[in-house]
Amino acid sequence: MYLYLYDSFLNSSKHTKMLARVEMRLTDLGIGGKIARLSPLKNIRELIKDEVKNGVKTVVAVGNDKTVIQIVNDIAEHAVTLGIIPVGKNNKIAAALGISGTDEACPILSARKLEKIDLGKANNTYFLSDIFVPKSNVTLLCENRYEIRPEKGEFEVFICNIKPDHVTEDYVFSPKDGMLEAVINPTNTVPASFLRRARQGEKKTTIVPFKKLLIKSRTPQEIITDGNKILKTPVEVSIVPKKLKIIVGKERIF
Amino acid sequence: MTTVLNKSYNNHTIIRKKYTMFKKDDLSYEDNVETIIGPSVQVEGDFNAAGDVIVEGVVSGSLKTEKNLKVGQNAKIYANVVAGSAHVSGEIHGNIKVDGSLELTSTAKIYGDIKTDTLAIASGACFHGKCASGEEKKRATSRKNDGKKSEETDEKES
Repeated sequence: MYLYLYDSFLNSSKHTKMLARVEMRLTDLGIGGKIARLSPLKNIRELIKDEVKNGVKTVVAVGNDKTVIQIVNDIAEHAVTLGIIPVGKNNKIAAALGISGTDEACPILSARKLEKIDLGKANNTYFLSDIFVPKSNVTLLCENRYEIRPEKGEFEVFICNIKPDHVTEDYVFSPKDGMLEAVINPTNTVPASFLRRARQGEKKTTIVPFKKLLIKSRTPQEIITDGNKILKTPVEVSIVPKKLKIIVGKERIF
Repeated sequence: MTTVLNKSYNNHTIIRKKYTMFKKDDLSYEDNVETIIGPSVQVEGDFNAAGDVIVEGVVSGSLKTEKNLKVGQNAKIYANVVAGSAHVSGEIHGNIKVDGSLELTSTAKIYGDIKTDTLAIASGACFHGKCASGEEKKRATSRKNDGKKSEETDEKES
């Protein structure tokens, strides 16, 4: 049984025709199901909990990356499969999973090729894509064995599971490798000598794969998850391997 | 960097690239780089990696990788280093143990002992310490074995 969660931006009339077409296609493929519309007033956690009790095995996020990220924490608690129908812009997660567009998503859902992917966990919050530590002087204690700190000044850190859009580094991030990656960028307070060195071909970004990491700082520091939840240091980040069962396309990047 | 795969979605071509650790001329490795320690950070403690490592910053404590290690020109390592193979252009204060080949470029500065299978030192490299190469070790062990065998045959003959 399928539950389709429509993001609130799909209430706009410009999406009506497209949604009708998608619903018809899903019915033709025999994978029609219950439709629920997300809104700030609706408790998604309770909604998913009730529907899982009623026999829902697959929850499909209809919308963009924000829609997916919004429901990941609630889905992770249940033994259900996640599907995605990308609509509009900002669909990097769907693209990474090999779901290139709204129309392509229907046959992919029907084919039901499943992958179990890792989720990151920051304290008690799951994240699918990344968490962000804004420019600060935090220390990263990796695997309880070694510490990473800025040599001079401050740095900003992205902790990634799937490569987020704003991380420009050409590095292959896989949500199936059982590791998270800390991507550390020096901030603009870096002396000019660094920039000269960078021009000489030196890689200035630090990338460290890890399974467990503690972010600590002298004063409480804000850390932002992909779902825009704000945590305060100290934050323990870990990987939960194969936590999420997800429907993928053939063109996935991992 | 080597382009490994081109894929297109949403009418955009996304080019996946992976870093290659060494140039083809340097060594024959083209594995994925898993860890990059950039120039802006300092790592302190027991750094243990399973994949390839590039160091451009400062590392102190110990550094161990089963695969390839590249130490950049401005990198400083105050640690004992263990690696599958290594290409060093920076400074290392500590002993180095490499299973495969160790290459010191002209800017390398090593203050410690080296134990490796194959060693290449470019002119201009600075090296203070003892050096033991793998072949020498094999010869020494084979000599010992030969000695033992001859002793055994002598005993049998007597």
